[in-house]
Amino acid sequence: MRTVADISVAHHDGMAVATVAGEVDMTNAAMVSRELTKAISRHAHALVVDLTNARYLDSAAIEVLFDLSRRLVRRRQQLRLVVPRRSPLRRLLTLIDLGSVAALHDTLDGACAAF
Amino acid sequence: MTPSLRPSSAAEPERRSDDELRRRVAQQAAVAEFGREAMANADSLALAGRAVELVADELGVPFAIVLSPQDDGELAVRAHVGMPADFDRLEAVPEGHGSQSRYTLELAESVVSRDLEDEHRFTPSPGLLAHGARSSVTVPVGVFGRPLGVLGVASRRADAFSDDDVNFLQGLANTLGAAVERERAEDEIRAEHARLEAALRQASEGEARFREMADAAPVFIWTADTDGMVDFINRGWLDYTGRTMEEELGNSWEVGVHPDDQEGVRTSWWRALRRRVPWEREYRLRRHDGEYRWIVDRGVPRFDGPQLLGYVGTATDIHERKQMEQKLSEAYERDHQVAETLQRSLLPERLPRIDGVELEARYLPASRSAAIGGDWYDAIELDDGRVAVVVGDVVGHGLRAAVVMGQMRTAFRAYAMLEDSPAETLGRLNRLLMKESGELMATALFLLLDRDTGELCYSSAGHPPALVVRRGGEPRYLEGGRSVPLGTSEGSTFRQEADIVEAGSTLLLYTDGLVERRDTPLEDRLAQLSTVAAIADGELGDVCDQILGGVLGGNRPSDDVALLAIRPAPPAAGSISLRLPADPAALAQLRRRMSRFLQSAGASRDEEFEITLAVSEAAMNAIEHAYGTAEAEFELKARVAGGEFTAEVRDHGRWRAPREGDRGRGLTIMHDLMQDVAVSPEPNGTTVRMRRRVGGEGFA
Repeated sequence: MRTVADISVAHHDGMAVATVAGEVDMTNAAMVSRELTKAISRHAHALVVDLTNARYLDSAAIEVLFDLSRRLVRRRQQLRLVVPRRSPLRRLLTLIDLGSVAALHDTLDGACAAF
Repeated sequence: MTPSLRPSSAAEPERRSDDELRRRVAQQAAVAEFGREAMANADSLALAGRAVELVADELGVPFAIVLSPQDDGELAVRAHVGMPADFDRLEAVPEGHGSQSRYTLELAESVVSRDLEDEHRFTPSPGLLAHGARSSVTVPVGVFGRPLGVLGVASRRADAFSDDDVNFLQGLANTLGAAVERERAEDEIRAEHARLEAALRQASEGEARFREMADAAPVFIWTADTDGMVDFINRGWLDYTGRTMEEELGNSWEVGVHPDDQEGVRTSWWRALRRRVPWEREYRLRRHDGEYRWIVDRGVPRFDGPQLLGYVGTATDIHERKQMEQKLSEAYERDHQVAETLQRSLLPERLPRIDGVELEARYLPASRSAAIGGDWYDAIELDDGRVAVVVGDVVGHGLRAAVVMGQMRTAFRAYAMLEDSPAETLGRLNRLLMKESGELMATALFLLLDRDTGELCYSSAGHPPALVVRRGGEPRYLEGGRSVPLGTSEGSTFRQEADIVEAGSTLLLYTDGLVERRDTPLEDRLAQLSTVAAIADGELGDVCDQILGGVLGGNRPSDDVALLAIRPAPPAAGSISLRLPADPAALAQLRRRMSRFLQSAGASRDEEFEITLAVSEAAMNAIEHAYGTAEAEFELKARVAGGEFTAEVRDHGRWRAPREGDRGRGLTIMHDLMQDVAVSPEPNGTTVRMRRRVGGEGFA
């Protein structure tokens, strides 16, 4: 078994939405980081990373998210994360204070609608 | 050192380990290597010396000897290892009784004495007995029942030699015999030529008589003048080449020499002529029918005092001998390469120790089989934590089958790692076999086992079915997932089947040598195997032995038999113990097995995720410590008891100070998710211990 993550990117309403499904650990974090960096748009005012179907993130994956937020801050763009309230990830992201650099949303609609 | 050979008791089938298989390969390599030396170096005495060293090494015996008759018929020692100094005298045995060597020469076949103290066919050498020899083997040196000598070995153990050892000795002796024969043939030709040349030199005074003699001679004869120009060629040569005397005189005879040999013939001939020394060369000459055939050509200078008169030469067709030699050389060269390849593919082979399963294997070679069979088995642990086992059988015997077997085994290891499904792995092996061998076929059974859950996935390419032996239950065969043998067709597709075995079950995989016999239908043999397996008990190794003994009934099998038994260790309730490679690729497996363990221990979904993450973070540290160290491992022990989870991750490296934003984050995560985390650097490595309450909504 390998660690597998699927990443897809879509654009709507001046927003870039990257969906991360599967697992991200130190074996594929670099790949995930490259894909997410590519998803940063020249026009969008925010990048939404949808983690609804992400089953597992480790410290390497968390680092990718922190790194992504630093890049976006320099561009005066926002990072918004979609993590359902029931997801085990939610507690983790709160514990490590990712909320200080990214907005956490329950749903994709909520993330896109936010200003 | 003892010869490490088993007694051949008739009651129990002989057990053959990988070590013995390796020994046989080493012996075959030794014969091939010896053959190469023999073809390159015709000095039979030196070869005899090499032969005794080889057999003493390969068989691990203290005594080895080569004897051959002298002109007076007495046997003389030509080479030996470990023989007492007074052996020559002691070899002399009482009147009326032959020695073992004599007896061997008379029979012209190998003689095995299992116990020299109880020998009635001949009188054992008192000298050898005095030095503690208990059993011996002698084989005739030479070919076609015309022995030229004897090669013998003796051991201080009784019954120390197997059939394979005798075959090995005979193989060496045959090679030695061929070399001696060749040397003799060359000596004979040389002597014959010398006789003729002497006669011709005398005769050259009277021209007519010389030609008469030369034309009547059974060999080719020529003479050349002081400039190296041929001025006479006898009838035999002219009949052979189909050319006239005029066409062959001067240096035009060279036209008949094979283009590839002309340069060498010319250079060596002119060099000999300049230095006025004898000349000898083997080259190919065109016969009247256009065929180039090997001849040996020799010329000796004739002098009148210091004055060179010219050369007289003799030549003989040696094509058949030369061709045989070349074929032998090529065969030895091939065997040598093959044996080397084979050794490489066999030497590192051992069943791996895999956590959480017991593995045992047995290999029995077919009776009286000198060649190595094509059966193989293997087991490896995959990245996802499943165990892959395979048993296969390349149809046929000998080096060819064994080499293909080696390739299949290597390929299996690679493909099993790449492919998720047994059917795909067999598909790849099939394509490889079609490409590599073309005509060879093989059967194989490939099985993936999840040792934690007992889930199976398997695929059979024309191979007999695996047997599942349940504790206290009726054994059953895994009959599904059947397809054609490997090597049948390029486009073969393979089916697979899923199944599940209960905890404590034993899986038996084997090759058809175990269940196939001409006189009994296959179903009966399968039923018998099932019956025998149902009552076998004890350690897994004992189970294997009971099955082999019970099914083969004390007979040696007529085909090679491989048996592989695998038994998932019963799960220890409430705890898990893993040993994993210090490689990031192992993290996926770690997560999967931790999740399953936590689920079975009743952890909630959040607890499962958080604990798995914390343990993985500790594992990532262990993996980073081992960076650059080949084959490093780390251990994880975890337990859920009394509403508390505890874990220990131990590695063999030194803890690194956390770096900001790097692994420091991992340590933070561990602290966030666990109640206690303790990092203990110890002399031989670092242990991370962690603890938290489980079984409820919250903690801390």
